[in-house]
Amino acid sequence: MNLEDTIRECLDGKEGAWKMLVDLFSKRIFNLAYQFVGNAQEAEDLTQDIFLKLHRNLDRYDFDRNFAAWLLTLAKNHLIDEYRRTKWEKRNRDDFDDRLRVTASADDGPEAGLAAEETKKVLWEGLNRLSAETRMAVILKEIQGRKYEEVAEILNIPVGTVKSRINRGRLQLAGLIRSAKERSHEL
Amino acid sequence: MSCDRVQDLLAPYADGDLSAADRALVEAHGRACADCASLLAALKEADEALAGFPEIEPSPALLDRLYRLPAETRPVRPTVRFFLRPSLQPFFAAAAVLMTLVSLYFLNPNRKAFDRAVVRQFHRGVSQVERLYAKAGALTDTLGAYADSVFVALKAINPLAKNKE
Repeated sequence: MNLEDTIRECLDGKEGAWKMLVDLFSKRIFNLAYQFVGNAQEAEDLTQDIFLKLHRNLDRYDFDRNFAAWLLTLAKNHLIDEYRRTKWEKRNRDDFDDRLRVTASADDGPEAGLAAEETKKVLWEGLNRLSAETRMAVILKEIQGRKYEEVAEILNIPVGTVKSRINRGRLQLAGLIRSAKERSHEL
Repeated sequence: MSCDRVQDLLAPYADGDLSAADRALVEAHGRACADCASLLAALKEADEALAGFPEIEPSPALLDRLYRLPAETRPVRPTVRFFLRPSLQPFFAAAAVLMTLVSLYFLNPNRKAFDRAVVRQFHRGVSQVERLYAKAGALTDTLGAYADSVFVALKAINPLAKNKE
C-alpha cells in the first residue's frame, strides 16, 4: 500500500493505517524534536503533540504536496512556537550520553575517537546557542542530510535565505569548536 | 581580502560551491591568516560531526501513546473547526466588546437616567448642527451679495459695454 492510500485509509478512520503512518514518521519527528530541544522527555511530549495535530489536520492535507515535507512543516511550526512560548533556550540540553555516541571506526585510533566525541559534545551543547530558525535549518540540512530545496520547502523560505542561514549557523558552531580546542590547548 | 569577507566564503568553500577565483582567494588568505585557517578546519570538523549524529529510536512507550491517539481524541467537526479559524478572531473580539457594552447598558440600574442623558446629548448635537447649518446659509447669502457687488462694479468699469451703449 502506498503512502497516499495509507493517508486515505487514515481519513476513513482505519486504525491499522494510522499505525502505519506512525511507524513511517515517528522516528523522523522524534529525532527532529530531540535534536531541536535536546531533552528526550520534552521531545517525546512534543512528538505526541505533533502527531495529535497531524491527526486533527490530516483532512487538510493537499494530496498534490509532498506529505513528508508537509508533516515536517507542521512539526517545525509546532516546535518553534513552543520554543518561543516556553523559552527553552534557558534550559539545559540532556547530557551527551551513550545514545548520541557512535562507535569510532577501528582505523581512527582511540585519540581520534575521543576528539570526535568531544567535538560532538561541543556541537550538541552549541545547538542551543543558535536561534530557533537557524537551529532548525542546521538540523534539517546538516544532521538529517536534507537538500537545500527540501529545507526551503519545509521552512517556507527561499533557497538563498536557507543557505545563508545554514552557513551562519555552521560558522557559529565552528567558532565554538575552535574556542573549545583553544581552551583545551591552554590547559 | 578582509577576514570578515573570507569567513563569509568559508562555508561555500567547504561545500565546493565557489568559483575558481574565489577559491584561490580563500586559499591564499588561509595561508597567511592562521585565524581563518583554523576556523575553516573547525568548520569541516563540525560538518563531519553533525553528519555523524545518530538517529535515535523512539521508545516503545512513546509509540504506544502515538498508536492510541485516534482512540483517545475525537475528531473536530468541520463546523467547530470553521469557528476556530484564526481569521475569525478579530470578529469574535469585536463581538465580545459589543456584547460587553450591551450588557453594561441593560444591567445598568440607572438606565433611565442614562437614556435621558443620551437623548439630551442627541438633541444638543442636533441643535448645534442646525445652528451651524443656519450660519452656513447666512455665509452663502453674504458671499452671494459680495459676488453681485463685484459683478456690478466690473460692469461699470467695462469700456466695451460703454461703447455698445
